[in-house]
Amino acid sequence: MKDLVRKLTEINSPSGRESRIREVILEELKNSIDGYEVDKLGNLIVWKNGKSDKKVLLDAHMDEIGVVSSFIDDKGFIRIEAIGGISAYNLIGSRITFPESGIEGVVGIEGETPQDVQKNLKELNFDKIFVDIGARSREEAEKLVPLGTFGVYSAEFVDLGRRIVSKAMDDRIGCAVLIETIKMSNPYYKLYGAFSVQEEMGLVGASVVAFNINPDFAIALDVTAWSDTPKGYKRMSIELGKGPAIKIKDNASISDRDIVERLRNVAEKNGIPYQIEILIFGGTDAAAIQRTSSGIPSGTLSIPCRYVHSPHEMIDIEDAENAVKLLKALVEEER
Amino acid sequence: MYLKELTELFGVSGYEKKVREYIREKIKGRVNLIEEDPLGNLIAMKKGRIDKRLLICAHMDEVGFMVSNIEDDGRLSIISIGGIDPRAIIGKKVIIGEKEIPGIIGFKAIHLQKDEIYEPPKMENIKVDIGVTKKSEAENKVKIGDFVAFSVESKSNERWFSGKALDDRCGCSILMDIIHRDIDLYYDTYFIFSVQEELGLRGAGVSAERIAPDLAIVIETTTSGDNPEFPSDRRSTELGKGPAITFAHSGYVVDERLFRWIIDVARENGIPYQIKRRTVGGTDARRIATTLAGIPSAVISIPARYIHSPMSIINLEDYSNTLKLVSILLTKEARL
Amino acid sequence: MIIADVLRSLSSTDGPSGYEYRVINLIEEEVKKIPDVSAEIDHLGNLIVKKGGQGKKIALFAHTDEIGFLLTKKESDNYWRFTTIGGIDPKAIISQRIKIYTRSGDIAWGIVGMLEPHLQTEETRRKVPSLDDLFLDVIDGQDRVDTGDIGVFSVEPFLLSDRYFTGKALDNRVSCATLLYTLELLNDFIPKAESYFVFNIREEDGSPGAKTVAYRLKPDLAIVLDVTHGDISVPSMPRIELGKGPALGVGPVIDYNYFEKLKGLAESISVNYQIEPLGGRSGTDTDLIQITRGGIPTLLVSLPLRYMHTPYEVVNIRDIEETARLLSYFVARGGE
Repeated sequence: MKDLVRKLTEINSPSGRESRIREVILEELKNSIDGYEVDKLGNLIVWKNGKSDKKVLLDAHMDEIGVVSSFIDDKGFIRIEAIGGISAYNLIGSRITFPESGIEGVVGIEGETPQDVQKNLKELNFDKIFVDIGARSREEAEKLVPLGTFGVYSAEFVDLGRRIVSKAMDDRIGCAVLIETIKMSNPYYKLYGAFSVQEEMGLVGASVVAFNINPDFAIALDVTAWSDTPKGYKRMSIELGKGPAIKIKDNASISDRDIVERLRNVAEKNGIPYQIEILIFGGTDAAAIQRTSSGIPSGTLSIPCRYVHSPHEMIDIEDAENAVKLLKALVEEER
Repeated sequence: MYLKELTELFGVSGYEKKVREYIREKIKGRVNLIEEDPLGNLIAMKKGRIDKRLLICAHMDEVGFMVSNIEDDGRLSIISIGGIDPRAIIGKKVIIGEKEIPGIIGFKAIHLQKDEIYEPPKMENIKVDIGVTKKSEAENKVKIGDFVAFSVESKSNERWFSGKALDDRCGCSILMDIIHRDIDLYYDTYFIFSVQEELGLRGAGVSAERIAPDLAIVIETTTSGDNPEFPSDRRSTELGKGPAITFAHSGYVVDERLFRWIIDVARENGIPYQIKRRTVGGTDARRIATTLAGIPSAVISIPARYIHSPMSIINLEDYSNTLKLVSILLTKEARL
Repeated sequence: MIIADVLRSLSSTDGPSGYEYRVINLIEEEVKKIPDVSAEIDHLGNLIVKKGGQGKKIALFAHTDEIGFLLTKKESDNYWRFTTIGGIDPKAIISQRIKIYTRSGDIAWGIVGMLEPHLQTEETRRKVPSLDDLFLDVIDGQDRVDTGDIGVFSVEPFLLSDRYFTGKALDNRVSCATLLYTLELLNDFIPKAESYFVFNIREEDGSPGAKTVAYRLKPDLAIVLDVTHGDISVPSMPRIELGKGPALGVGPVIDYNYFEKLKGLAESISVNYQIEPLGGRSGTDTDLIQITRGGIPTLLVSLPLRYMHTPYEVVNIRDIEETARLLSYFVARGGE
């Protein structure tokens, strides 16, 4: 599974520019599904028939956070805006790659005096940073990175054994789990897999993805935060390696009670480790799916992830493998 | 161009009636269908060459206030409708309710202010004066729930137009101009004059759900920031550089295929255009895109200065270039 | 129906957002006592009661969920960190006893303790704790509770005086009681409407409950019942008082025609009412219902309530009676 995760995280597809990741995912799945479609907004929807005519929808989002070029100054320095919830703090000292241009840049910070720099670091925002692609004039920069070019973190996949690190683990790990689940399951229900677009812009793809499917229930697969680092969030108890997290609540939704119970029962019955997740911020595609049309009971299964939205997100591979086991058991259950 | 009449009408979010009636009157007879939905969106349709639907919209509403209480001394307490900066509203003439009662937003004289002179005013201290001294007198003229709109006369010359509510009466005017031209429309084109955009994109999505178009174009009036106090590298658009095409804004990355198509059409036809640089703020495109099974949407805007205040400015060349661009787009098949 | 008794049962039944089934079941039992109605619980857990079959389709909504707590992390044998469901002021949680529902269905008890003054310093005495500073001391059931267990305030409701009732969750159980009483009063009429009384889940987390039911029912008119702040001065707003009848919302999210009709009816049958100006979204189920489908005309009727989102909220029983009277007439007349 690590190789699949590496392959997916290395693709550069920020929100609104998902064609490349969609191609790769489809390529991975094409021999394991009974059909697919790409909807009006670019969501990839695949399905695998089951024995029952009930439908279950599993969703993961394909997009990653990034930046977009908004201005090029006389000297060839590039100003950027955020695409999704990317923080200026995570950009300082980072490299950005502009996939459409095939070029990388370094992020710099303004400061006319050392005190200025310190002050800017304390109150950092996108107005105070810029990207340097090594261009020496506006014309040179404009040719490579014209206005409106999208970029993502430039950070490679690192294998630390049980722990793996990469940019875009949010939510390529969810995509990997979904791909493996689809490949390995012999589902009882008709299994729909949705790879959604623009989740980071505000659950855009997920707002429409369930509309035509109308599943009996849905589960979003995403990363969740963590509390197991030094002086980590003291009100949360989410740890890497303790198993996939069954979400009770986050800031955008409360998981359907029956789905939570069911996930717990399936995990316990099959001896799969899990933890219970309550996030005191954040949201997932489940919040959008649950309010589709006349309502769809929805929940989220999360992969605990450290340093979310930084260039180096870390997960425990066993949590992902156990998530696949859990979902496979769930969709194969005859109920 | 209907800017003068449109901008001088009163249409605060939720109270768009007068604007809607004016537009309806001007476009009837020129469209195949006109209807109004429960929220007050005005929907007009002109048939095209093929059986698919394109939705093009502009919002009728403007930011303003509502009477929230009548005080004992006859002055009116007001609450904002839409995002108005309280620093921009002092010393303005307003109009209240269907009966169009005039009033003013006065403020404590500078002579009488001490430390407060540099403090932004709070909405709770802003009162509207309609020239009465008792609550009962006020109650004869206005009531709680009446809208309160800025009353501003527009002014223009060959290059510039200034007035209130340019966001988004410019868009409405563009739609009306298109309806009046004999354009060879490609799609069955649904013109939506929408409500309550300023309150969180409430109207257009509802119309999109009703019409179920194949694609949508939102015509907005947008921020610029091209003044001496604002750094040039943080500007959104510049007046005089043509219609602004959006690649992304709050809550939505514009469908890439539509974005590229619009730019190509502008280039092929020699129409000046600019790319909107900042991604702050949102439009109805977000709401429309996430309706039903998804509707690919694009945004084209006329740059303006000082929107969401009672006095904004546009460049009339930008207006006519926007009209030119949209008119050509509507004759073509979108490259989806 | 004895309103105080029903209100007491509703208040003492526990149902935080996402876990409303006990409340839904209780209301279903109460509904069984009313003739000529049919009830169903939908796939998400909303209870929908139908009365009458002809005329305009009117849907009335009251959310059944209350604020609550979730255990998030075990600190040691008996100390737990927690978070809230819905917005709760940490000051209102200090020194409260919390009733915890464990996974098996057993009850456990916890206390949110306040450090004794003797051990406090000058500094801590002046600070108001945030949720991150608080913890639950689970004195009874420490071996049974687990992460994800839900909790509610442990409070016995009672009549404060002959007209004033107090207890937890009156937001929004007072509206549920009002709808039940309205259904009972409706028995005296042959209604000119196809009416639906919806006891929906989950208002506190962005209302997928009400909006999804509205989507399915497609009513011609939706009336949302909620609570509003009573007997407190809010700048620029009229003072809404307990005992003076329902507060009728007015503003962009309210259909003005129906508002005028409801107001006119109240005057003609001598029901005391108050006006609540809403400059934008109301923060209730109304907002999403209005923009569902192709748009639904909405009304918001609010019962005045003191001390919202604290363990002892207060309402006036007279307001329930008057509101139910108004609504039963309104529904019977088909919303005219």
